[in-house]
Amino acid sequence: MLKRYTGWTLALPATLLVTLFLVLPVAATIATTFADAKGVLAPYLAFFASGFRRTVLWRTLEISLATTAISLVLGFLTAYVVARAPGRMKSVLIIAAVFPLLTGVVVRSFAWLIILGKNGILNNVLVGIGVTDEPFSMLYTQGSVIVAMVYLFTPLMILTLVGVLENIPEDVLQASASLGASPSATFRQVVFPLAVPGLIVGAVLVFTGSFTSYATPQLLGGERQMMMGTFLYQRAMVNFDWVGASTIAAIMVVITVAVVLAMTRIAKRLNPMTT
Amino acid sequence: MTTRPSPALIAIAALVYVFLVGPLVIVIGASLSDTTYLTFPPQGLSLRWFENIFEITAFRRTIVTSLQIAFLSTGLALLIGIPAAYALNRYRIQLPSWLSTVFVLPILVPEIVLGFSLLKSVAVGASFPIFVSLLIGHTLLVLPYCVRVISASLASFDFSIEEAAISLGSPPAKTFFTIVLPNVRAGVIAAFILAFITSINDVSTSLFLTGPGISTLPIQILAHVEQFFDPTIASVSVLLMFLTVAVMAIVERTLGLTFLAK
Amino acid sequence: MTQALDIDHLTAHYGSTKVLEDLSLSVGAGELVSLLGASGCGKTTTLRLIAGFLEPTEGTIRLGGRDLTRLPAHKRDIGLVFQNYALFPHLSVMDNVAFGLRQRGVAYAERETRAKAMLDRVGLSPLADRLPGALSGGQKQRVALARALVIEPPLLMFDEPLSNLDAKLRVDMRVEIRQLQRANGTTSVYVTHDQEEAFSISDRVAIMNAGRIMQLDTPEVLYQRPANAFVARFVGFENLIPMRVVSRDGEMVTAEAAGGARLSLSQERFGAIPDAFTLATRPDGLAVTSGPGADGIPATLGLRTYLGRAYQYQCETAAGHLVANGALSTPLEPGGTARLVPVPDQCCVLAAEDGTR
Repeated sequence: MLKRYTGWTLALPATLLVTLFLVLPVAATIATTFADAKGVLAPYLAFFASGFRRTVLWRTLEISLATTAISLVLGFLTAYVVARAPGRMKSVLIIAAVFPLLTGVVVRSFAWLIILGKNGILNNVLVGIGVTDEPFSMLYTQGSVIVAMVYLFTPLMILTLVGVLENIPEDVLQASASLGASPSATFRQVVFPLAVPGLIVGAVLVFTGSFTSYATPQLLGGERQMMMGTFLYQRAMVNFDWVGASTIAAIMVVITVAVVLAMTRIAKRLNPMTT
Repeated sequence: MTTRPSPALIAIAALVYVFLVGPLVIVIGASLSDTTYLTFPPQGLSLRWFENIFEITAFRRTIVTSLQIAFLSTGLALLIGIPAAYALNRYRIQLPSWLSTVFVLPILVPEIVLGFSLLKSVAVGASFPIFVSLLIGHTLLVLPYCVRVISASLASFDFSIEEAAISLGSPPAKTFFTIVLPNVRAGVIAAFILAFITSINDVSTSLFLTGPGISTLPIQILAHVEQFFDPTIASVSVLLMFLTVAVMAIVERTLGLTFLAK
Repeated sequence: MTQALDIDHLTAHYGSTKVLEDLSLSVGAGELVSLLGASGCGKTTTLRLIAGFLEPTEGTIRLGGRDLTRLPAHKRDIGLVFQNYALFPHLSVMDNVAFGLRQRGVAYAERETRAKAMLDRVGLSPLADRLPGALSGGQKQRVALARALVIEPPLLMFDEPLSNLDAKLRVDMRVEIRQLQRANGTTSVYVTHDQEEAFSISDRVAIMNAGRIMQLDTPEVLYQRPANAFVARFVGFENLIPMRVVSRDGEMVTAEAAGGARLSLSQERFGAIPDAFTLATRPDGLAVTSGPGADGIPATLGLRTYLGRAYQYQCETAAGHLVANGALSTPLEPGGTARLVPVPDQCCVLAAEDGTR
C-alpha cells in the first residue's frame, strides 16, 4: 500500500520551511559577501587586514577552546560518577544536571554578574575574610566570560557523556575485570578509548556553541571582550554595516561547519561500535 | 558499572554540582531581597521586585509575546515535524539519506547567523511582519528537536502493530492517529518540552527579529540589565524559570509521565 | 594447574529478595559441571558470585583451597566466556586475546606468541588483525574462548555461551568447547538452559530451581533416575501418577492408581517402595494398548499427534491427564478408549508428596 510519494508528501512542509527560510536566507547572506563592489573577496581581506577584527576572531577561538577543555574535564569526571550511581541517586543527579539547561542562557549568565561584580558575592567574601582591601574588578575580562561559558555548557557535557558511558556494555567491563584488569586499568584501557568518540561529539557541541554565543559575552564581556557574536550584532545593528556583518556571519558558518564535519568524521572512524 | 568511584572523584563531582546549582540559588535569593540593588544573601525578604515586573509595560508585553511565540512555534514545529519524522522512519526507502540532515540544519547553522539572515532576507527583504519573522525563526529553531526526538521514539516503535490495525480494517490515516501517535506519546511530550524551553529562553535568533512593540522576554531582560541592573532582573529570571518548570509540570500531568532519557 | 572449586552454603540477595538459598557445590579438578535450569533459577547468579560480580550474604567460595569470597573480581584469575561475547570493540582480535596476558605483565613478544598460538588452536589466525565488529557470531565466540583460555586459569566459566548462535553452530561449538576443555583439563562451570547441551558435554549436571540445586548427578542418572518431581518433569517424565500399595509379597509390591488400575513393581529394581508414592513415566514409558486385556489404566483418548517414531495421545484418566505413546501400526481415533500400560523399565518411583499435582 506504499504510494510512491507518501514519504515526500509528509516530509515536504518541513523541508520547504528549512529550504525557504534557512538555506536560502543564509546562502543569500553569504552571497552578499562575494558581491561587494570592491572585489569578490574584498570583505574578507578587509576583515583579516584589521588588527581589531583579527583580535576578535582570535579571542573567540581562545575562549571557545578554553571553555571546551574545561567543561570536557569537569563534565567527564562528573559523568563518570553519575553513570555509576545507584538507580534513584542517578535519576536525581541527572535531573539536577538537566535543570540548569532549562533555565536559559540569560538567567545563567546573569547570575555571574551578581557573583563576580564589584559589589558581588565573591568580592564581598574576599574583602570580608581579609584577602584584599579593594574589591577585584573581575567582570569584562576573558576570565569572566570563560567562567560563565563553562557554567553554561557543563550540564550539556555531563548529559552527553553519561549517555556515552552508559553505552559501554556492562559485560565488556566485567570481561576486563575477569581478565585481571584493576578498575583503573579498565578505565585506561577500555572505558576511555570507548568514550573518546562521544567526548569528541560533546566537545564539538560545546565549541560551536561557545564560538557562536551572544548573550554570555554580551553580559560578561561587554565591549572590552568582544567576540564574534557580539561583534556581528554591533556591525549590523549599531553600524548598519551589513556587508561587514555578513562577512562575520560567513566566517562563523565556515568555522562551525568545518569543525562539525571534521570532528564527526573523526568520531565515526574512531568509534568501533558503529558498524 | 559495578565498582564505586573513588572518594576523590565523588568529591569533585559534588563540587561540580554545587557549581551548577549555586548560581541559580543565588539568583532566586537575590530576587527576594528588599534592597534596590542586587545582593546576595538577600537583605530583608520581599516580593516587591516580582510585583515590579508587572508594572513595567515592556515586561508585560514581552511575557505575552514570548508565550505566544513559544506555543505557536512549538505547535507549528510539531505539526510539520511529526509527519517528517514519521516519513523518515516509515518511508525511509523513498527518501534520500541526506534528508534527515536537512531537519538538523538549524542546529548546525549558528543561531545568530540564522536570525540575522532572516532579518535581511525575510523581514526586510521580503517585508514580512516582524512577528511572523520571529515566529518563523523560532519554528526553525525548535524543528530539529521535534524531528529528532520523535524520530528516536519511532525508531523503537514496532510498526507491525500498525500493519495489524490496517489488516483489521482501520484506514491508514486513522491508524496513525489512533495507533501510532499514542504509542510515541512520550516522545511527543519530550519534544514539546524541549522545544518550548528552547523557544522561551532563546536570545540569539530573536536578537535581530525584534521591532516596535515586538520583543521577547529574554531580550527584554538583557536590555533591562544594561539600563537598570536592579533586582527586577533577578525576579524576572526566576519568573522565567518558574514558567518553564510550570509548563513542564502541566504537560507531564495532563498528557502522562515522561521518562528523562532523550 | 587446574584446581577444585568448593562452594559452601552460599546465600545471596538482590536488594531484599533472596535469590540463592544455602547452595553448596563441589567441582572436582578437571571436571565440567553444568548449572542447568530455566531463567530465574539462580544459575547465572551463582556464576556471578563465583566470578566476583556479586557478593554473597553468607557462605564461602574456595578455589584450590584459596578463599575467594571477599576477593575483588580482577584478582580471582577465573576465565569467563560471556553470552554476548563481551569482546573489546576497539581492540583487534589479537589484542582481545592478549588482554589478560597484558594485565599479568607478560612482555609484548611473549604475549603475541601465546595469543597467536591460542588463535591457531581455535582456527582464527587469519583474523588476528580484524576488529570484533567484522566477525560472525561463531567467530566472536571463538575469540572469547581463546581470550579466556590463553591466561591458563585454574577455573573456566561459561555463561550460556551458545544461546546467541543458530542451532547447527551451537551443536558444533559445544563439541569444540568440550574438546578444548578435555585437552586442557581445566575445571569448568557451564551455565545453560539447554538440556541437551548440558547433558551432552558435562561430567555432572546440577539442575536448579528457585535458587536451589534440585539434583546434582551425572547426566545418565538424572535422565533415568530423577530424585524428585521437579527434576523428573525437567528430564521429560511428563506423567506423574499417584499410587497406593495394596499388597506386598516379598520384594514384589502391588500398587493401585486412581480408577483401580493395578501394577506390580519389584523393590529389587526400584528400591524400597513406600505405601504411598508417585510413579513417573515418560510418554514412551506409557504404552497405549487397545487389544483385549485387563491391566493398565483405562483412558479416553484425546488429540493424536505424529512423532515420526510413534503416535502420541493426550489421554484423560481417573489419575488425571496423561500423555502416552502408541505404535505406528495401530493408529487410534480421538474419543475412543484404550488402556495405558506402564513399562517398568522406563518408570521411576518418587515420594508421594512431590507427586501431587
